[in-house]
Amino acid sequence: MRLQAALLAAACILPAAAIFSDEVNHIDFHHALLGAPSPDSTFFLKPSSASNASLLYTLSDKSILGAVNPRDGALVWRHNISQSASPAGGAGLLRGLDGNNAVVGAAGDYISSWGAQDGKLIWDQQFDGNTVADIELLELEDATATSDTRDTLALISGKSFGSVRRFDGDSGAVKWEYIDESGDIPFQVSSSPTEVFYISLQSGILKSSKIKVTALDPITGRQTSQQVLNTEGDITGPESVLFVGANTASPLIVWTDKAHKSIKINVIGSKKISSLAIDNTSGEEIRQITVHAPHKLNSRPHFLVHYKTGSGAWAEVYHVDLKSAAVTKAYQLPYLQGQSVIATSSIDANVYFTRVTDSEVVVVSSASHGIIGRWNVDASSADYAQAAVAEVVAKGKSVAVRAVVLRDSGDWQLIRNGQIEWTRPEALIEAVAAIWVEAEEKEDLAHELEVEGHDSIHGAYIHRVKRHVRDLQHLPDWLKELPQRIVSSVLSDEVTNLDSFGVAKPVVVATRSGRVYSLDTGRQGSVMWSVQASEQAWDVKDITARPGQVIIDLSDGSYVSINASTGESFTQPPLEATNVQSIANFVVSDGSSLVRLGAVGIREDGSPVTPFNDITGFLVTTSANGRVLGWIESDNKTPVWEFVPPSGQRVIKATARPAHDPVASIGKVLGNRSVLYKYLSTNLVLVTAVNEKDHVAGFYLLDGVSGKVLHSATQAGVDPTQPISSVMSENWFAYSFFGDAIGDSSAKGYQLVISELYESSIANDRGPLDAAGNYSSLHGSGTDSLPLPHVVSQSFMIAEPISHMIVTQTRQGITTRQLLCTLPSSNSIVGIPRPVLDPRRPVDRDPTSAEAEEGLFRYAPFLDFDGKWYLTHARDVAGIKDVLSRPTLLESTSLVLAYGGDIFGTRATPSQAFDVLGKSFSKLQLVLTVVALTGGVIFLAPVARKKQVNLLWKAT
Amino acid sequence: MSALPPPPPPQWVVALNSPMPRPSKAANSIPDPPGFTSSNTRGGKQRQQQDKQQATRPEETDTLKLKKAWEIAMAPSKQLPMQAIMMYMSGNTLQIFSIMMVLMLFKGPIQGLINTNAAFAKYETPTTKARLVGVKAVYVLMQLLLFALGVWKVNGMGLLPTTRSDWLAWESERQPLERAFFAFK
Repeated sequence: MRLQAALLAAACILPAAAIFSDEVNHIDFHHALLGAPSPDSTFFLKPSSASNASLLYTLSDKSILGAVNPRDGALVWRHNISQSASPAGGAGLLRGLDGNNAVVGAAGDYISSWGAQDGKLIWDQQFDGNTVADIELLELEDATATSDTRDTLALISGKSFGSVRRFDGDSGAVKWEYIDESGDIPFQVSSSPTEVFYISLQSGILKSSKIKVTALDPITGRQTSQQVLNTEGDITGPESVLFVGANTASPLIVWTDKAHKSIKINVIGSKKISSLAIDNTSGEEIRQITVHAPHKLNSRPHFLVHYKTGSGAWAEVYHVDLKSAAVTKAYQLPYLQGQSVIATSSIDANVYFTRVTDSEVVVVSSASHGIIGRWNVDASSADYAQAAVAEVVAKGKSVAVRAVVLRDSGDWQLIRNGQIEWTRPEALIEAVAAIWVEAEEKEDLAHELEVEGHDSIHGAYIHRVKRHVRDLQHLPDWLKELPQRIVSSVLSDEVTNLDSFGVAKPVVVATRSGRVYSLDTGRQGSVMWSVQASEQAWDVKDITARPGQVIIDLSDGSYVSINASTGESFTQPPLEATNVQSIANFVVSDGSSLVRLGAVGIREDGSPVTPFNDITGFLVTTSANGRVLGWIESDNKTPVWEFVPPSGQRVIKATARPAHDPVASIGKVLGNRSVLYKYLSTNLVLVTAVNEKDHVAGFYLLDGVSGKVLHSATQAGVDPTQPISSVMSENWFAYSFFGDAIGDSSAKGYQLVISELYESSIANDRGPLDAAGNYSSLHGSGTDSLPLPHVVSQSFMIAEPISHMIVTQTRQGITTRQLLCTLPSSNSIVGIPRPVLDPRRPVDRDPTSAEAEEGLFRYAPFLDFDGKWYLTHARDVAGIKDVLSRPTLLESTSLVLAYGGDIFGTRATPSQAFDVLGKSFSKLQLVLTVVALTGGVIFLAPVARKKQVNLLWKAT
Repeated sequence: MSALPPPPPPQWVVALNSPMPRPSKAANSIPDPPGFTSSNTRGGKQRQQQDKQQATRPEETDTLKLKKAWEIAMAPSKQLPMQAIMMYMSGNTLQIFSIMMVLMLFKGPIQGLINTNAAFAKYETPTTKARLVGVKAVYVLMQLLLFALGVWKVNGMGLLPTTRSDWLAWESERQPLERAFFAFK
């Protein structure tokens, strides 16, 4: 016992194992995501004029602005600019210029300039209520010669006015402002080498509009000229204008007539409208027209118009005559079936167009139709390409190209000279549910063992012998693999291949948009397959893993069944249309495995959709109006009990112990070797209720069968807008909130409260039930009814809010538990070891020797998160909504997966990896040592024997 | 014709009959082969001693034997203070040395108890048998005292299952008769 106590003490004193640098990317993986990039705001850019290296910049649909290294697809920096912006406002805008050390992004009413290389904020501005309609970087050759940073032009659209402002590139100060109060719809801003153009839509009769171009002086912002283009009948709103040229030598406005018969082009600044007939030879209706023009000031005035039909696409290249502003068609890229996307890039004055189709990548120069680069590449995918951006490098006469294809799902793919270099699965940012896959064949063995367990000894023996004889058929294969396995196990980097211990399980992730991904956690979370399981966005309520498949329950009562290894999906429509708020899974823990008994949907009012007659047990649900309800199996109309929190409080969260929560020891051994018995019940519910008006939070511990309140704690001065999280495991629960100082003794700040439940306050006492093997919450009369727990609590001040809490799960619960807390303000996940959060830590005195033996140390009110506790170490894991934990076959190891924003997976070893050989252990060295020793013995044995004999005979 | 004298006996017969020559100094230092004991000299002495003892009277031998037996019976008690000090000094931590010392401490009394009769077999005669019972009892008591010292030490080291925590593993979790399932999200 003392040995056990000593081990326990050692486990307590030792800090939780930190992650070693050689374990990074080996035990953990991280998808740092941006979201689906918006095609208009994605580009290659050389952030520094000194270096030729370029980065890939984008602004995603989640308003995350980021830079990606095009070599390996790694994120260089990112910022969520929607955090500071108002939620209104559509797609964001991002502009950058080669050699300019800043990129400027706008989302909603917020505009900000960021250092292109390091992602540091240069300046930002917010326009309350007004939205940023367009931004441009002013590429004037002489105006800002003193600074590296170019000035920004922004068009701000208010309710009744449009305003063009020029911001200083370094400070963000407004240099001038032009206000248009004519009531036109502010549309775009554009610039030529000499002028700034403000383009607005003047509403005319019958919903059609005219384009009004106002030329402004770039130095003063005064209006120099104004003209209205006669576009009536063609343009109905901002969406019918295809293109407004940005910073080209000859900025353009492009639109078409309604029937897509001809394309109309105006060179901004002139009144002339060129109308060119669209030569549609495909015989199909044109679905989409996009215009691609270079964005550089010194580029040739060439542009490309890409016409997309239902099944194919072609493109036409036009040249603009700078003097006469006449537009002529130069050549045509042929009509091709399948997907086709175009990207523009320019080197000095030359303009190149890169076309990515299903089977090849082609680079043409804008000047002539000759193909200067062609690579065969299989870029076909069911996930259609939406757009592409490319960077062309000329090497003598030939060219090299790297093109990034943006797909419908939001995935990015970089194709370098026909080689797919990397793919970023950006759609994973919207993950709403995830689960580890259950292997299929395991079930067979479990079944066989079950048969053997229930048979007579003789029958079981025969069954086992038969099973082993049957297993012999795998012997030849096994023998064949054996040499290779030995060699690989000796030579491999990892000492023991832990995959068979369930540490490299694939994980299935469902995203909000209806996509399902399977990630291989053993290989840095690489995507094994992805399918579009639902055409539109779905409301996932629950995800469960069955052997070989994954079931996703939806809010309408239907479910989608997905084959875990291939991704084949099958949708089962609901039996009757119901709106399900959550799913109750009837899962019981059987040893180290979980047994599913069934599931039932829960309506919004908390009632089960159907009675669950085949299950013996009670069901606890929460209702939308903030109550906790208890149900009996036969009745789904009236609950058997109802918990209504007192005085205006509303239930915001309820938690129970995890389904798999094994308890290794039912008591806590104290320093004097007496036992404090844990209050263990699988039926406990921890309810968090908040009164938003009075800023009071109540935490109630309920018995899930009878609804009886076993313990309650009320905290005053709680900020209900800050995250309040709670978790329960074994015989303890924890919650975190932001508390304001209301009394002399209370503290202001984020607090983490931990409470432990014991059967009695006295050691060696099991409370009123004493040695009873069973207890009942309902039928108890006096002595054997459910007693109240003895609760010990301690509260800690922490530096940051905790948005989500979970406890690591291991196979048998012997390993110390870790409280995994998601810290949204520092984008990390921290695993606090349970011994630190022991509410029995002595307050205001040093521990006695008995307490020290128990591992208790002096209480300190401020809990500083040790750097070693961070599971995410140096990683920036942003936007985590949910964290999952699951046991492996190794008792020391628990799998952790975080999703919601980024995807992060790791292995947690709260008591260090005590059952795994370390990396310093070398099998080869061991084998060599044994061989050397054997050789030495064989060689020395005759020598030693001879010497011994001689010693006996030749003694002098 | 006279009969020829008998031929001289062969060399080996001469060697057999004549006493062995005194071994040279060098030969003297040759060790005996394994398993050979040269008992010619020492055996003689012992035999002489035994002859002497037998010559004494039986009553005297009995008292002598009893005296010897008492010595043996009290021998463990002489170890007792030293062992106690050693055990006290070695501390209660679980280390290889303290564990080995405790094992040795247990080994002595247990062996002694098993070999009680063998230890006194030499002194047991039909006449002393009755009087030896008390001696044996004291011997057993002394061994038990040593044993108790070991038990005290083991208890000090926390290896005796005397507290509630030692039986915790055999206590089981109380099972609820009703079971609740949860649907929170």
